[in-house]
Amino acid sequence: MKIGVYICHCGINIADHVDVEAVRDFAKDHPQVVIARDYTYMCSDPGQDLIMRDIEMERLDRIVVAACSPTMHERTFRNVISKSGLNPYFLEIANIREHCSWVHHDRTRATEKAKDLVSAAIAKAQLLEPLQAQEKSVTPSSLVIGGGIAGMQAAFDIAASGFRVVLVEKTPVLGGHVARLNRTFPYLEEAEQLIGPRIEAVLNHARIEVMPFSEVEKIDGSVGEFSAEIRRRPHYVDGEKCDRCGECLKSCPVDVIDDSNYRRNARKAVYFPSTDGPNEILLIDTEACLHFKDQSCDRCQRTCPQGAIDFTQEGRLEQVQVGTIIVATGHDIFDATKKTELGYGKYQQVITAAEFERLTASWGRTKETPRIGDTVPKAIAFVHCVGSRDKQVGNEYCSRVCCTYTAKQALWVRENIPDSEVMVFYIDVRTFGKGYEELYERAQKRGVIYKKGVPSEIFRGGDKVVLRGEDALLGQPYEKAFDLVVLATGLIPSQGAQSLKNLMKLSLSPDGFFMEVHPKLRPLDTAVDGIFLAGTCQGPKDIADTLAQAHGAASRATTTLFQGKVAIDPVIAAIDEGICSGCGICEEVCEYAALTLDPYRRLMTINTALCKGCGACNSACPAGAISLKHFKPEQIIAQVYALCMGE
Amino acid sequence: MPAQKIESPVALVIGGGIAGMQASLDIADKGFKVVLVEKEPTIGGHMAQLDKTFPTLDCSSCILTPKMVEVGSHPNIEAMTYSEVIEIQGEMGDFQITIRKKPRYVDLKKCTGCGLCAEACVQRTRIANEFDMGIGKRAAIYIPFPQAVPQKYLIDPDHCLMLTKGKCGKEPRCQKACGTHAIDFNQKEENVTIQAGAIVVATGYDQFDARLKPEYGYGRYENVLSGIEFERLCSASGPTKGSIEYNGVEPKRVVFIQCVGSRDKTVGNEYCSRVCCMYTAKQAHLVRERIPDAKITICYMDIRAFGKGYEEFYDRVQKEKIIFRRGNPSEIYKRGESLMIRGEDTLLGEPYEEETDLVVLATGLVPRQDAEQLGRMLGISHTPEGFFKEAETKETIPTSKPGVFLAGCCQSPKDIPDAVAQASGAAAMACICLAEGRS
Repeated sequence: MKIGVYICHCGINIADHVDVEAVRDFAKDHPQVVIARDYTYMCSDPGQDLIMRDIEMERLDRIVVAACSPTMHERTFRNVISKSGLNPYFLEIANIREHCSWVHHDRTRATEKAKDLVSAAIAKAQLLEPLQAQEKSVTPSSLVIGGGIAGMQAAFDIAASGFRVVLVEKTPVLGGHVARLNRTFPYLEEAEQLIGPRIEAVLNHARIEVMPFSEVEKIDGSVGEFSAEIRRRPHYVDGEKCDRCGECLKSCPVDVIDDSNYRRNARKAVYFPSTDGPNEILLIDTEACLHFKDQSCDRCQRTCPQGAIDFTQEGRLEQVQVGTIIVATGHDIFDATKKTELGYGKYQQVITAAEFERLTASWGRTKETPRIGDTVPKAIAFVHCVGSRDKQVGNEYCSRVCCTYTAKQALWVRENIPDSEVMVFYIDVRTFGKGYEELYERAQKRGVIYKKGVPSEIFRGGDKVVLRGEDALLGQPYEKAFDLVVLATGLIPSQGAQSLKNLMKLSLSPDGFFMEVHPKLRPLDTAVDGIFLAGTCQGPKDIADTLAQAHGAASRATTTLFQGKVAIDPVIAAIDEGICSGCGICEEVCEYAALTLDPYRRLMTINTALCKGCGACNSACPAGAISLKHFKPEQIIAQVYALCMGE
Repeated sequence: MPAQKIESPVALVIGGGIAGMQASLDIADKGFKVVLVEKEPTIGGHMAQLDKTFPTLDCSSCILTPKMVEVGSHPNIEAMTYSEVIEIQGEMGDFQITIRKKPRYVDLKKCTGCGLCAEACVQRTRIANEFDMGIGKRAAIYIPFPQAVPQKYLIDPDHCLMLTKGKCGKEPRCQKACGTHAIDFNQKEENVTIQAGAIVVATGYDQFDARLKPEYGYGRYENVLSGIEFERLCSASGPTKGSIEYNGVEPKRVVFIQCVGSRDKTVGNEYCSRVCCMYTAKQAHLVRERIPDAKITICYMDIRAFGKGYEEFYDRVQKEKIIFRRGNPSEIYKRGESLMIRGEDTLLGEPYEEETDLVVLATGLVPRQDAEQLGRMLGISHTPEGFFKEAETKETIPTSKPGVFLAGCCQSPKDIPDAVAQASGAAAMACICLAEGRS
């Protein structure tokens, strides 16, 4: 056996706390090691060349790299040795950065530990076996979950690249949060101009199948061949028969507060989920409808001239096969009632920014004088960071959009309510995007007053509400009455994220949003191959950044589709049929449903495409019939033995 | 977009920084050919100059160099370094692009990157190294930094004695040292014409020239540094091997000043540069890590820690006994060996004067000097501040010219995650053009 050992300095990341030369000399002394080197950045071109040249010149047959975590560069170094004609699995990484130099500060002891880790890697390297990656074909289509602006854009890009797309949206309508905005910052265009054409584009694209009012219930398989079960919920209105005449609406006796309009107007139990989009499908709200409550009413059914109302309609499950998946499930808005000191839900003069969007939209449409109740608000306050940068409510992060949307809303007030007095209470003003600082400036020039220091409480004062707090610049307390207070509520992870996370085995960042594999190397990829992220489900962001990310996610998702095949990692479990008794314990522990019992032979079988090589089954098997390739018991025991001998 | 026949399933990517590299990889991985044109002798861009990256403190080289290697060795990518686009004709689907390859005076095929030539050069440690912002020195034959891709040397025509004076001793030492006879003083520049179906523009940014703020004394006082200069000072591969020192002395007091050249109408830049708040927080953290007893102050206007994990990082840095003072100084002047900083603390509502050993200016991002010229060549417009303009608001990638897409900081300042995401997006849009042509 001829082993080459390569110790990386990682700049000063490793070299500062580990004596790399000592580790190199230590490795050199090992009887099976023919060459040991150290270098500043092993992963760089010259570093890689060192390894390749040695493999050729010294005819090395096993390689040990002592560097960063294998999650970072195992793939890089496997490519390197495979280019030199060696089996890529003849590589063992000793993690002397994350497991050593980054966590220890005593140089002598850290160096000793690095030596131990290297000798364990050398021990394992001697027992490594060659493995071959298999290829499988790819279903040339994608599933996009979420019909907001991110999901629609991603779906459109994939379809335009020539692949089929299934676009699933939970609510009855496409458009997401953007559809509920009035105008967008910083150029104050109508949100409708962004949303309308995109809805039309995805609905009319021959390669996009839109499934509104539907939810993903199950996802099986892996990259290249995912299979998803989608629950299509019933409308109780036959879309074919209904001619949208609206007679049913008139007959319905129930009034419901409309959530989608932020409780600002009422609708019926049978309703058009959207009044201005082209995707109008009537729908019965089963929570409100009397028929579904106690069967006491069937007026709509009797009224409908087309006989389109069908209370017995059932939802159905649809199976779709796709190669890749984009998650674009968006965000929820922070519930301002959690900040009890701000009086939201208690005083009608305190509203959220989302509600203010709907108000300005309807005021804009009807050209009526803005009113809250009976009064035209003259003194209006905006409060920043409600539910953001606030550890009290558990959200330490910044929501990224509130500063700029507040500037937009404050400017709207100054331009539409003459002689109004507008004050914005802030911590820091974060107008960072293209044209945002200019909008902030414009608002200030239009007379919006910015005060540093968000209020500590809001209370009633006659028919107004009073804000009390401290002006951080003047260093003195303020108390001021306003007719209307708009809370700049932040963005929080969507409620559905948790169940999707479990369905797809994704992980979440500490802030609760979906986590990307690496913030800079792969900001759109998840840890699950073939599943990508777009939009605010990954973290708060504005529309421009969301769209850029949606195009990017489409790029990531189509790469596999263009390639037409994917490699299957050979580091998976293997069953020794001579030992397996078919007890089925492994099947219970497998998270990926990769193990099934062959009832005729009474033996377990492994689906190699599903197995992730996690190691759960082999440690659970009471007979020791399963082993994980590349992590066989003898390989691990050799490692442990080498570590213990080092003591 | 009208259907047009796409003549060539090749994409041109202009700029080999992180955005251009990501766009190239995303296009090439889909099976299309990419020609990547980079002006500098190596790909990598500004990211290669950084030490650690916020907020995760990943070492920039560690995450960048493997990507550089991937670009350099990808079968579908032809990386043309030290080259410039000089002419663009045609329309989406059929652009004809002329590229000027500058002479390296080193044969790329023969050079092994061994470095013996640079060791031999008579000017070995005399020339200011651009990559290290002039803090370090290099020879007249050089490689910008050890991890450069391609790993090939080149001769600086402004300093090489053979090229400036026609003579270097009896015979040029580099030529004598080179075992593969790779050095060729007769190399000439060369123009190449290629065809491409789509173009991704990823030309990046320039650092704001802090001399335009004379009150901060940059260029006059040598212990006033710009953001990128300080990065090189912190970097393990930098001139001090990562030890934060000035003229051999470790500073015990460091002041960081934000918004230098950003949010500043007096220099014509009203916009926010989007990264300086965070890179300053990171740099302050690095000082605390390496000089535990240093007094560190950050002067700011607003702290804009808006990205994923940024606010959390800002919080962490505040806990490391770093003083955040609201109010940028009005002037910096010298007193003995140290610098005096004078300004108004807007939270305390009173003036301050602080003595310090080192000042680091959080210099903003400005459009590249040659952006206007390139814009004209491409037929795309720019915003008043000089960044390339997108066709529709909210869509940051497509330009008014069909088939030309933007990625990274040439469109507006942004951090690495946003630049990478946008670059993937530009790749998607370019591939839509190319795929339409292929089908």
